[in-house]
Amino acid sequence: MADIDQLRQFITASFSLKGEELEQLLKIWQPYECKRKTILTTAGETERYLYFVLEGIQRGFYIGDDKKEATIVFMYPPSFSGIADSFLTQTPSNYFLESLTACRFLRTSWKQIDELMNLYPEIRKMVLVLTSFILKGLLQRQVELQCFSAEEKFRTLLHRSPHLLQLIPHKYLASYLGIDPATFSKLLGSVRI
Amino acid sequence: MPTFSNFWSSRFVLNLITMRKYNSQALLEGLQADIRQLVLIANKLRSEDPGVLLEQPAPDKWNVLQVLEHLNSYGRYYIPAIEKSLQKNKPATEFFKPGFIGDYFTKMLSPSEKGTVRYKMKAPKDHRPSPHLDHQPVIQTFLSQQQSLLELLEKAKTKNIGRIRTPISISRFIKLKLGDTFRFLIAHEQRHFVQINNTIVHVKKTGTFSVSL
Repeated sequence: MADIDQLRQFITASFSLKGEELEQLLKIWQPYECKRKTILTTAGETERYLYFVLEGIQRGFYIGDDKKEATIVFMYPPSFSGIADSFLTQTPSNYFLESLTACRFLRTSWKQIDELMNLYPEIRKMVLVLTSFILKGLLQRQVELQCFSAEEKFRTLLHRSPHLLQLIPHKYLASYLGIDPATFSKLLGSVRI
Repeated sequence: MPTFSNFWSSRFVLNLITMRKYNSQALLEGLQADIRQLVLIANKLRSEDPGVLLEQPAPDKWNVLQVLEHLNSYGRYYIPAIEKSLQKNKPATEFFKPGFIGDYFTKMLSPSEKGTVRYKMKAPKDHRPSPHLDHQPVIQTFLSQQQSLLELLEKAKTKNIGRIRTPISISRFIKLKLGDTFRFLIAHEQRHFVQINNTIVHVKKTGTFSVSL
């Protein structure tokens, strides 16, 4: 399937966009590729792009002043990628975005999305629905981080995204769940699927 | 900067043969990716013990903050100079061909594939910082300069980086193509990040520091 048709399929399956608006939205994407371990956005930089992931995995992470690094999000196909809050607010990012594998994307800029949102209420609505579901996911994750035991977090991850275990270094998965890397490998040994 | 003797070495002649043409967009994107890598490392340095950043590995060698301040001193010249040259209205072209001198400087400054520094050089007097520096402002200045460079590279995507020229810091009579100014400035930063890595490994006397380029 052509790259743009993958995006078309993703949008029509997840949102109610169609007709003229859909065609306009599909016009603004350019192909972009990067090698593994490429920093796509740095802390302090304003996110310029919205990516649609065709191949590969990225992670968003935070670096604190106290040697603490926290993995906050993973992105893989088919989905959008980028530092969402910085993109939507056009203010500097607090996070880094890096590729964990070689990646292929379609990407578009804030300027182009913003123009379309001003022209087409249906596109604005789609962006609102998209951010609403991101918010829903984030609040659910907040609950899991605060209320779940290490084992519950681990089981939820296995249940929701079992393929990540093969694809992502375990230290990043442990950081994402907010558990100790040693606890993570112990759980991996005990909870054989 | 090169001395007169190695300027005419066989490497210079070799350089004339191996000079390549770049896709302008891809070159600028690649340089942005290089800078982002340095920003990541500099962010990790922020949480390093100030004592480590201030320790000179030998009396005549720089500590980590001196290396960063050395880079800042070039940024203070080049960022406004590049900003000024970008005001020129010369639209982008698909390809960029480096100039002889710019390409030579870049190749001489770039760390090797293995991540080692090839030619030792001595910094000019104006670019030798004192060893007594305050870590937060030095790192902060470095980080904000890199954000400026990222923005200037973005702006340069709409301009002709082969036709616009920027004067170099030691002589306003020598001008490099803007594409080469970016290339050699970033190669210079990468070179000194190899030094930073080596300095930290030496000072901590342990394994490797996780800042490899």
